[in-house]
Amino acid sequence: MTKALFLISLQHELAMAIGNKLDLKAMLKVFLKVCFSRLNLTSAHIYIYCDSSGMPHKLAALESVIYQHFLSIPKNKRGQPWQKNPVLTDFAQQLNQAQHNISFQCKNGQYLFGFIIPEHGLLIFETHYTLADEVQKALSPILQKLATSCYTSLVHDSLVKEVHSRQLIEEKIAFQAQHDGLTGLFNRQHINHLLSNAIEDAHRNKKIGTVIFIDLNRFKPINDAMGHAVGDKILLTLANRLHSLTSEHIDVGRFGGDEFIIIIKNLNHNYQDDIKDIITQINQLLEIPFVIDANSYKFSCSIGYALFPLQSSTVNNLIKFADIAMYEAKRAKSKQGKQYQKTMSEKIKRRLAYVDDMKQGLENGDFKLYYQAQYNHYGDIIGAEALLRWQHPVHGMESPSVYIPIAEESDLILAIGQWVLEQACRDIKKLEQLPLPQTFKKIAINVSAKQLIQHDFKDKIMRAIKLNDIPAERLALELTENLLVENIEDSIKLIADLKANSIDCSIDDFGTGYSSLTYLKRIPASLLKIDRSFVANIEQSSESAAIASMIISLGKTLKMDILAEGVETVAEFNCLKDLGCYQYQGYYFSKPLPFDKFVQLFN
Amino acid sequence: MNTILFTWHTHSDTLSDFKHALTIAQNSGAKSLLLLTCSQNHYPEAELSSLLRACPLTIFGGIYPMLTWKNTLIKQGALIIGFKEAFDVTLFSQLHQVTNEDKLEDLITNTLEQKNNYCAHDDFLMFYDSRINNIEDFIDCLFECLDHGINIAGGGAGSLDFIQRPCIYSNQGLHSNVALLVTLPSKLNIGVAHGWKIFQGPFLVSDAHGQTVQGLNYQPALEVYCQAIESASEFRFNGSNFFDIAKNFPLGIEDINNNLLVRDPIATHNNHLQCAGNIPINSMVYLLESNSEALISSAEQAAITAFTATTEITSAAMIFDCISRELYLADKFEHELDTIAKHCPTPVLFGVLSLGEVANSPNGAIALLNKSIVISSW
Repeated sequence: MTKALFLISLQHELAMAIGNKLDLKAMLKVFLKVCFSRLNLTSAHIYIYCDSSGMPHKLAALESVIYQHFLSIPKNKRGQPWQKNPVLTDFAQQLNQAQHNISFQCKNGQYLFGFIIPEHGLLIFETHYTLADEVQKALSPILQKLATSCYTSLVHDSLVKEVHSRQLIEEKIAFQAQHDGLTGLFNRQHINHLLSNAIEDAHRNKKIGTVIFIDLNRFKPINDAMGHAVGDKILLTLANRLHSLTSEHIDVGRFGGDEFIIIIKNLNHNYQDDIKDIITQINQLLEIPFVIDANSYKFSCSIGYALFPLQSSTVNNLIKFADIAMYEAKRAKSKQGKQYQKTMSEKIKRRLAYVDDMKQGLENGDFKLYYQAQYNHYGDIIGAEALLRWQHPVHGMESPSVYIPIAEESDLILAIGQWVLEQACRDIKKLEQLPLPQTFKKIAINVSAKQLIQHDFKDKIMRAIKLNDIPAERLALELTENLLVENIEDSIKLIADLKANSIDCSIDDFGTGYSSLTYLKRIPASLLKIDRSFVANIEQSSESAAIASMIISLGKTLKMDILAEGVETVAEFNCLKDLGCYQYQGYYFSKPLPFDKFVQLFN
Repeated sequence: MNTILFTWHTHSDTLSDFKHALTIAQNSGAKSLLLLTCSQNHYPEAELSSLLRACPLTIFGGIYPMLTWKNTLIKQGALIIGFKEAFDVTLFSQLHQVTNEDKLEDLITNTLEQKNNYCAHDDFLMFYDSRINNIEDFIDCLFECLDHGINIAGGGAGSLDFIQRPCIYSNQGLHSNVALLVTLPSKLNIGVAHGWKIFQGPFLVSDAHGQTVQGLNYQPALEVYCQAIESASEFRFNGSNFFDIAKNFPLGIEDINNNLLVRDPIATHNNHLQCAGNIPINSMVYLLESNSEALISSAEQAAITAFTATTEITSAAMIFDCISRELYLADKFEHELDTIAKHCPTPVLFGVLSLGEVANSPNGAIALLNKSIVISSW
């Protein structure tokens, strides 16, 4: 071939090898491979100008030059990366400084030829022969074309990156729209959507599905006591465990707070067994302790479920039904889960009607305060506990154990609690006008959890006292042990505040809960009330006597008075006295009495 | 350093003879065995494979159209060479499924990384299934990973009917779609030659994909090829004699140093030329021609290069000679073997007639060759 023809064919082949790929590295590799074979090279290298973050970019005027090794054929030299090859690195540096073609003969007889890729980088060939001057010059237009193609690739790369980051953002937005931010499970909205589809599928395929509603038991006190960071970690751990149940036919979502929902599709005629299996699996997942920040927590859950389309074909109803069934399971303390039954809704309806009755009763003055006197061991009245009684217009006298829990589930307990507070203050005012014995100190009212967490609860008490113009020390509050523990920090603060205002607090039902002694010593209560369960037949039960004795010692240590509740016999009274308990309440002394009759006790 | 302990060859095509020789070889004290057999033997595959798997020594080699022992051509039979050392053998398998360059690079890198200090080795023999259609990509990629400075000689195994059958031997049995890289314990000297020279051209490869040339000078490749030959020779294509004529006129790609890389047109399809190696698009190709004297002379030159490059004792010499040279030279092929043997300093001279050859180019890169002879000695 004549030299001219060779040069033309060389230019043609190299030029045609440029721009065949859009990715910068792939494009340069194709070009470099053709150079390698056509020019009989020993090695070939490309250095690329980069910005300060190391990303390839076109060199702009007055900009400092940063070039980086980008590509080599072969990849390494005797197992060492080319970047560590001093001869090549020095040559690249010289080439970059020169900014025009240079060449160099190495000690081993090989040659290095360097070319500038205008505004984009350096091209270096290693050969075992001298590259003719005319061949080097013939490369000049090729390098110009290569530079153009580099720029195209850079623009393409940045577009690809932009499209990719846009895609990522879109995916993130789509994910966020469907998933819960904390746990990554499906959120309520998407669960509704999935359930809607599952109901349609169930109809179409004549299959059965279920919505399982899961609520973590006693999560709130842990969350309140240990803080939201710990609570969130617990929820996240649980979510991850529940997510392990996910399959083609099972979706898991977080409904809110500590409530989770599982949708199971495509169940067959033996669906009850399948659901039981899943519930067993859920319980097993909860059996593993939750270890958060070196502390171990144990939880159980309440589970309710409803079937579709058997029990409903609407999303809202199914979730509502599963929720109702879950509450039934919670009330029954059942771990096995409960399937929704119509009677559950009827029960709720009755409950709502009962709440309405209570409201009506409150307005009609059907609620009364009875007072059960409290005595010392000399038989003197030292105080009384105000106890709520409700004369239902139809059912007659209702038991507090029935209506108080119902009132506590609704906000009605606040209205009732407020009425109790005010009525007790009014009754105290009446008592103040009587010649009371010196031993009589105060009237205690019971406080519910919902009242306690009211931010203005103390103000309400102080207002009632002021309104009735009674001495504050005549009023005392009774809080249950469990109630205190669930709101420990707030309780401590509130009791301290009330104590500063001369209002004492007592800890009711002591011994039945699981209060920590650490907490107990911080609670500035004045009185511990031994629960009636330890008082009943105490003279015959060494266990009850031991517990009562322990509570009495504890009271002495913490400088709290001790009062025994539910004292019904002389034997119990004597036993308690012998153990060192000198304050009592119970039928042995006096049953709860209407105010008028209670007042007569002073006579 | 003499590394050979055992040599055996036969013209028998029975597996029982081969099995017998293998038993002797195993008891010779050798640690590695090179097994070469002729495709005409038609050994039962399953039996052969279990024989290989049962062998406690390191084994490598393959099935080739023909073998050579000293200056003798073996058309049926087998060769066993026993070495004192346990050679390191690396098997690259499932190559036909690796169609993407990055995946090929991953395969090679991952396979080599499992070998300790692979970069310290410089001298290799390579046996591969000639029916792998991406073998040239594999070779390019192998070079990119192994780097220059290595010495390599190899050849494609298989049979002349171009039907793919398992043809590579290893301790795992009989393989197809694999390449076997064998590390030699001493320096490999190589002589490479083809003996072809420019006859017509150049032609611009205006359309090509891998081993298929679709267009020359923007015309259908087959038409241009046939016209060029018919206009300058007595040969006439009649639709059934393509290979008979084409074996005289391979294509050649000229590099900057006037070296010709030969590409053998072995078949036609839809007016395209199917070659036994890649032809880059936009490259310039020539039609080449030769004669018996030139081919034999080139073989002699390769032998001289291979055998005189070292002052160390040569313990073995292995030839990878393209089967097309035997087809071209026919009766004169034994002259080629005589010529090589004449220069060979060791009695252990053997070889294969291969379907494609592998050797280093002058620049150090590994190249797939056609119609060439690669003579190696160590």
